[in-house]
Amino acid sequence: MKHYTLYIYIYYCLLLVVVGCKPKAEVPSQFSAIETEASIYPDYKDIVVPPNIAPLNFIVRDSLATAYVAQLQGGGHELLAAASDNGIVQMDTVEWRALLNANKGGDVEVKVYAQRPDGWVQYKPYTISVAEEPIDAFLSYRLIEPGYELYRQLGIYQRNLTTFDEVPVYENNREYCDGENHCINCHNYRMGSTESMLFHVRANHGGTIIVQDGKAHKIQLKDSTIITSGVYPSWHPTENLVAFSTNKTGQAFHVYHPEKLEVMDEKSDLLLYDVTKNEVSHIIRTSADMETFPCWTPDGRTLYYCSANASGLIDSSLPDSTISQQLLFQFDKIRYNLMSIPFDPKTRSFGQPQIVVDAVSEGKSISVPRVSPDGRYILYTKGDYGQFHIWHKSSDLWVKDLQTDSCYALNEANSPDVDSFHSWSSNSRWFVFSSRRMDGNYTRPFIAYFDKDGCAHKPFVIPQEDPEWNILLLKSYNVPELSRDAVRISMKDLHQCIYETDGENANYKPNPTAIIQLDGTTGASPRAKVDGTSGASPKKRE
Amino acid sequence: MQKKTQKQPHKAVRQQTTPPPAKRKEWVLPVLPVFFVLCWLWAAWYYGSVFHISREYSLWVADTRIMQFILCQPYGVLRYIGRAMLQLYQYPWLGGLLMALMLTAGSWLTGYCMRLRASWRYLQYLPALFYMAVVTYHGLDVFFEARTGFIFGIPFVVLVVLCIWGIIIRSFSRKPIPAVVGVPKDETPRQNGIQFAVIVALLVAIIGFDQWQRPYVRVICQLLDMEYRQDWAGIQKLARANAQMSNRPMACSYGISLVQTGQIAERLFDIRLDYDSLHVHGMDGKGNNLNSLYTPEGNYYGGFIESSMHACMEQMVMTGPTIRLLKLLTKCALMREEWELAEKYLTVLRRVPFEGAFCKKYGAMVHHLDLVNAEPEMALIRLTEPVHDSFENQYQQPLFMGYNLMLVEGRSANALMNSLVVCLYTKLMPQFVERLEPLIGTTPPSIIMDGIMLAENKNPGISQHFAGLNFRQPQLQSFLENTRPYMKDRPGFAYELFPKYKGYYPYYYFFGNLKATRKGYTSLSSSNSGVN
Repeated sequence: MKHYTLYIYIYYCLLLVVVGCKPKAEVPSQFSAIETEASIYPDYKDIVVPPNIAPLNFIVRDSLATAYVAQLQGGGHELLAAASDNGIVQMDTVEWRALLNANKGGDVEVKVYAQRPDGWVQYKPYTISVAEEPIDAFLSYRLIEPGYELYRQLGIYQRNLTTFDEVPVYENNREYCDGENHCINCHNYRMGSTESMLFHVRANHGGTIIVQDGKAHKIQLKDSTIITSGVYPSWHPTENLVAFSTNKTGQAFHVYHPEKLEVMDEKSDLLLYDVTKNEVSHIIRTSADMETFPCWTPDGRTLYYCSANASGLIDSSLPDSTISQQLLFQFDKIRYNLMSIPFDPKTRSFGQPQIVVDAVSEGKSISVPRVSPDGRYILYTKGDYGQFHIWHKSSDLWVKDLQTDSCYALNEANSPDVDSFHSWSSNSRWFVFSSRRMDGNYTRPFIAYFDKDGCAHKPFVIPQEDPEWNILLLKSYNVPELSRDAVRISMKDLHQCIYETDGENANYKPNPTAIIQLDGTTGASPRAKVDGTSGASPKKRE
Repeated sequence: MQKKTQKQPHKAVRQQTTPPPAKRKEWVLPVLPVFFVLCWLWAAWYYGSVFHISREYSLWVADTRIMQFILCQPYGVLRYIGRAMLQLYQYPWLGGLLMALMLTAGSWLTGYCMRLRASWRYLQYLPALFYMAVVTYHGLDVFFEARTGFIFGIPFVVLVVLCIWGIIIRSFSRKPIPAVVGVPKDETPRQNGIQFAVIVALLVAIIGFDQWQRPYVRVICQLLDMEYRQDWAGIQKLARANAQMSNRPMACSYGISLVQTGQIAERLFDIRLDYDSLHVHGMDGKGNNLNSLYTPEGNYYGGFIESSMHACMEQMVMTGPTIRLLKLLTKCALMREEWELAEKYLTVLRRVPFEGAFCKKYGAMVHHLDLVNAEPEMALIRLTEPVHDSFENQYQQPLFMGYNLMLVEGRSANALMNSLVVCLYTKLMPQFVERLEPLIGTTPPSIIMDGIMLAENKNPGISQHFAGLNFRQPQLQSFLENTRPYMKDRPGFAYELFPKYKGYYPYYYFFGNLKATRKGYTSLSSSNSGVN
């Protein structure tokens, strides 16, 4: 009994210490307002946030200050949070939620106070606008060291954006093992729902993992006519189909260049995989063109993709083995247009490819087209050259309004650094994209509001419980994909599927309407004829 | 209990009545304190450099989120604790003190827990000595590819087990605690001597094995440490003192020190460059050529900043971040003016114990290009940065050699000199001759002069374009005549002839690096590669 009392006493003392150490959140009674803006990290000033986002914890940086208080006000609600000399302001989740709910469609004013040797100061206030529309609650991404050749520990993780919870969807082997090492990539969901998902496993235990009805199975998309296996995927919105690109990809490292490396395709085609029948066929197979990044429209009647014609860059008199070297020397001359090809879901037949955005003619290159779930906009990345824009500082986000046919850059969202891979929220009002703007090397997912007029607003990096984690994490967020719901299949089941099955070979069944041109003279590219006589001739729409 | 109380007076009486041997005071020394001192000497003075570098190739911060890459692996917590202890090796005497304390305490507890009698007491030192032997046997493997957590992790877990065991014994049997500092009363001079003999014999055996089979381990680690401290004179002195030893990390450190002191074309061939096979294994358990140990630094000091970052990243992917890689990445980011990136790495390093000085020095350079360019090391590196861009895969690896072999335009005389020396190193004389033009009319450095004399054979008259070559011809003739009998079996006689001709390029040309010339360069394994 004596011990019991002692334990209670110790616990009480510890509690006092903990509570005593926590800085007191109280607006100073006396302060002087200064015109200087608070230096906060990450930059959460004057942004638009979804009403369901987790607290935007931040760090205040002021070399003179020893304590801070943040006061958030709006809609009759107030939230106070304090920070010690480390400047880390962490907000109470319940209070934050109440504040956002009370200010949907309105503004929250943020006042930050700092205690300097000569007293408290209040920086210039800023606002956070709260949108009416929520963002899809889950964000999946791969965490991986930024883009080099080797891989070791990596995994696909899912973050609940309304909280700070992050759970692994799948992690590869944690300890090096020659027979177990494998890479995972290209996770993808059907129309923002995790009911149908897929990702690829490379090297040991390789194959494409398809998850439907809570069950995972492995398939092998291999055929002598297929370049490699499936790479960039896009689930058809209504049919149980997936469009894949199949790419022969390589990378090379600059010796002295602002960009660190180039990732280039030597060849690429498009495939259609029927999940139900386990059949694969070509959509486009051309020797002269490289087609990649397929993306279905929400009605499933059009497939967008990117295409480049590099035949002019290759000396056909030289052996095939030199193609990659030939292309490498002209890495900045390979440019992709945005293309589309009609599709009839009933007959599963494809029509004629068309140019949607002729970027090549303006000396630019397009990658990663993604159609908004409402079907009105195509969001894509535009850079100076190539298709792996995550390593190009010139890359920016652009949209094409399919109603007005106009294309424009999302200047509010873009930065001088890389702004690339993106994913729409299912209400078309938000998108997440990868950006290297924080340090030029490690990608972080940024959220941007996309209003009804088709304008993007200033983006913000996804909130972290400890805002310094954005600096401390030595991995990149790769392929951020939004989804309405959480991934349901357990890691154990995925592990079992990956480790214990070899994968069923998909049957290759040619599609009679596929574009097959292997003579190297024409292709589904801007260089092809436009008189309609050639099967793969594009029609310029822009 | 009764029996014990009955026996105690009897023992006391016997001790009182039996006079101690007359020579006991002269001969008997407290073994445990001496063992502690010997362990400390071994762990700090003898093997301290190896553990110090092991620390450099580890990362430890208290934040378990950053350390997740270790914690998620088997025995992750043990590795985490081991790495934490290893941090003390920033100062080898301090890390050695902890190591010696753990080994000594482990030995003492072993004796206690196993209830060893005086005649068997030497056995209590065997686990600690076995540990030292295992560490010595593994050599470079103790830190290469980052299994560094076990260096302290294993003694720690053994110590914990012994502590628990000891507490249990003490709780139930009330066995008396043996002396820690003094000589146990039950120990005769002979038993005392046996213990010393066993300890000394095994220590001599361990050190002897190290000197015989792993002599390069301490040298490589000392060189890597000096490289970090920019002790170029120290590197040269140590490398030349071990000139007969040959391995790539040593050659790279030595080359870097010569580049940094402007002597690359004077003294590169003072050490043997034949590259003996080393006992070192990668994560895959296969033999490794240690290129990850010298490629990042080699590229950095060669002026290839992007490629150094590339090499650092590849290594970081495979082993997780290390202090050394983060420091090098910081310097690379500063040189590329990637200020936020440099600050990121510094933010992590600030959480590492004892790294304040580095963070202070390089933290001050963030956003200050003038300070970066004024730093002597970086200023010199700037002189050899490439003039034009190209891709790494266009060159033989490692890049700092391959690029210089094909250099067509440099930004300084230093770049030209590096290129000429690489041509001579690779024995590619046509490339060497092609690059000589800027030196026409000058007196080239000694190695270049010797190279010109050798090139004279296929390029008659070439030596006339340079000054100071007159006396080189007789020297070359004399060398060729003297070595003619050995030309039949050059690999066989190379080692024997080295002491006589070290530093002389024609010796290297004919007898040096024959294995490497045959095999060419090694490159990264592609088994674990992909586009990420």
